[in-house]
Order: sequence, then structure tokens, then C-alpha cells
Amino acid sequence: MIKVEGLHKNYGKLEVLKGISTNIKAGEVVAIIGPSGSGKSTFLRCMNVLENATSGRIWVGNHELTDKKTNILKVRQNVGMVFQHFHLFPHKTVLQNLTYAPMKVKGMSKDQAEKIAHELLEQVGLTEKSDEYPTRLSGGQKQRVAIARALAMQPEVMLFDEPTSALDPEMVKEVLEVMKSLAHTGMTMAIVTHEMGFAREVADRVLFLDGGVLVEDAPPEEFFTNPKSQRAQDFLQKML
Amino acid sequence: MNLDFTQFIPSMPYILKGILVTLQIVILAGILGFVLGIILSLFKISSIKILNWLADLYTSIFRGTPLVLQLMLIYYGSPQIIGYQIEPYTAAILSFALNSGAYISEIIRAGILAVDKGQQEAAMALGVPYGKMMWDIILPQALKNILPALMNEFITLTKESAIVTTIGVMDIMRRSYQVGAENYSFFEPLLIAGLIYYLMVITLTFLGKALERRMRRSD
Repeated sequence: MIKVEGLHKNYGKLEVLKGISTNIKAGEVVAIIGPSGSGKSTFLRCMNVLENATSGRIWVGNHELTDKKTNILKVRQNVGMVFQHFHLFPHKTVLQNLTYAPMKVKGMSKDQAEKIAHELLEQVGLTEKSDEYPTRLSGGQKQRVAIARALAMQPEVMLFDEPTSALDPEMVKEVLEVMKSLAHTGMTMAIVTHEMGFAREVADRVLFLDGGVLVEDAPPEEFFTNPKSQRAQDFLQKML
Repeated sequence: MNLDFTQFIPSMPYILKGILVTLQIVILAGILGFVLGIILSLFKISSIKILNWLADLYTSIFRGTPLVLQLMLIYYGSPQIIGYQIEPYTAAILSFALNSGAYISEIIRAGILAVDKGQQEAAMALGVPYGKMMWDIILPQALKNILPALMNEFITLTKESAIVTTIGVMDIMRRSYQVGAENYSFFEPLLIAGLIYYLMVITLTFLGKALERRMRRSD
């Protein structure tokens, strides 16, 4: 589903990603973890071209993102993204947040878009909030709306950039539950997270990044019980 | 102080007709200036250097010279610029629109920059094209924040429109002045003009507040 080959990303002289290669298969749930500044968010953001790769190649499905001829807007319709700080559209109601892109980008009819939106709101447990504005929601509710908004485009891949890092502790669970049930539907997911328990339970694979290098790529059981590298060992010691 | 307003009662309809003239100029110039302001502000935040430069040059010229000069240059210069003499009314709308466009573009630019960058990223991540993103997501949020500053600009425009009297447009100001000249008494008709302008600005302020309340629904 996603293929990354020798991905480099520089900001001026600062080298954030130093040649990352990996594959994410359809239906796979991959947790991307690592210390802050390791480049994990940048890595994720390269997968829908919110950041441009300096060199290397990335494919999503059959489309090569790093090819200038590729219609990035088209690819992004197929790759949902959930941000740390939600970024809901504050001037639109919850329902409008969900229907905006399907209607304006995909040309879906209002009826159809609203039907899908209501189904998704039910799925994330926020049916009764459809006419509220985002400011009236709690952090956990906002993030669940944000997940529903991304899903409303009916993407094949979902990217999560630290989806629970900005939440109050008591709201983390409700968001993780939604993500867990999404994982069980067979959605392809790449999740940058600090939730080690969640990564261990839900992910099929863990990618451990440090200093812009993919240090480990292993199933969660193996990674958490028996990390090969010293850096991963040190990291896990601090986290757990 | 002996004020005698009664002698001006017959002239009131004549002065009041100026409201329509002033309103026409202000509304048309306001709309044109607003559209121009949006375009210029998009130029200013564009990644294309030549557009930044053009918009900055434009702003610097129209902000750096007196409005009354721009008005006269456009009116008296029209035969040399476009080959025929334009109406004073046209020159008035044109110069006010061009001038306020420069100010409004700066206001809108500030408004756009104040919108959280995440909004743009969220729209991009959904595959929303640039134009729709600006129009549906970024500008509505920017406008809400800059509404008070925009109202200021429209209020200034309303009052400053009085300078069109210098090229002979029959606005409130000029009509009052003429009535004063006919009666050899300027003070009363000018006071009447002042009152009319003040009431117009109050109305505008009121409308602005109502609009702001409406836009703050989502807060």
C-alpha cells in the first residue's frame, strides 16, 4: 500500500530523515515511535506530501508521490490524516466538517455526504453532536470528529500524527478505542504515537526512529520484549 | 450664537439627495476595494515573488500619496491616460476603490496570517484545492477576526468621500456648501452635513456590530 525508498528530508542544513525505506502492506497497522526530534512526524507527513521529500521515493497504491506529474490532491483524497491538534474547521458545524470535503472535493451530493457523515458520527459515538460547533466539544470529542472527518473521504490509508498527545489523560482512551475499532475493520494505518500500550496491543509492526534513521522494524511483541538496538533499549527504559 | 435653521428647510430635500450620491460612491468603492484587497492580499502571501513585489509596490504607492491627489490625478488625468474625460462620479468611485484596496489588502493579509496554519494543512490533507481552501476555509475565518478593522476602513471611506466635492461631485458635502453660498450663511448647512455623516457612520457601526455577532455564532 505504501512503499518508501531511501527517503531523505533536509531543512536547510538540518538533516531530519536520513534515508528511510519501508513497506506498509494493505490492512497493516504500523506504529511509528521514537524520541522527540527523531523525525517520526516528518516521516508521516511525507506520506501525504505535507512535507516534500528532499530525495528518495514514496508510493501510495500505484501513485508515486515523489513524481512531479502525480496529482497530489487526488492522492490525498485517498489518504486520511489526523493531527495532534485536531484542526477542525471552527466556523463549520460537526456535520459540515464531515461533509465539506466529500461534497466540495469529490462532488458528492449533500444527501449522500450527510448519510455517510451520520454513519461515521455514530461509529465514533457522537451522533448527538452533529449540529454543534467544534468549540463546544471536549478534546476527545474533537479528535473523534477529526477521525470521522478523515474517514468521510473514504480513504484507503489513515495517518495519525500523535492523535492523543494534546488530550487530557481521561480522554485518551475514548480516542484510542475509536482507533482500535478502526484497525479491526482492516484499515491501513500509520500511527505516530507515544502510547506504548496501544502500540503493543493494536499495531502489527513497530517502526522505531531515532535521529532520522529507522533503527528497528519489528512486530510489537519482539520490539517491546527484546529490542535489538541499544537506542531502543534506552528509549523503552525511559518510557515504561 | 444665532443659529437659524428654519431658512434652510426648503433646501433640505436638495441636501438629503446627496446621501444617495455619497452612498453610491461608498458602496461601489467599498465593494470594488474589498475585491481588490482580497486579490492583492493573495498576491502578498503567494509564493511567487513577482506577485509579492507587485502587490507591495501597489500598496506603497496608494498608501504613500494623498487620496485627494489620487482623485485629481484620475479625474484630470483621464483625457491623457485613456483619451477622454471621465465623469467626476466615475473618478470618485475609481480612486476610492483603488485607494481602499491598498489598505484592505493589508488588513486581509494580517487576517489570513492569523489563521492557524493547521487549518491549511487540514484542508490540504483532505485534498481540497488551493482556491476552495482559501475561499471556504481560510478567508471566512480571517474575515471574522478582521471585521472591526474592516469596519474602520469603511467608516473612513464614508467620511473621506467628502473630498469628491473638489472635483464637483454633487455629494452631501457639496450640496451643503452650495446651499450655504446661496444663503450667505455656511454654518447651519455645514452642521446639517456633519449630522448626516455622523448618522451614516452610526448606522454603519450598528450594521458592523450585527454582522460581527452573526459571525461569532460558532464561538
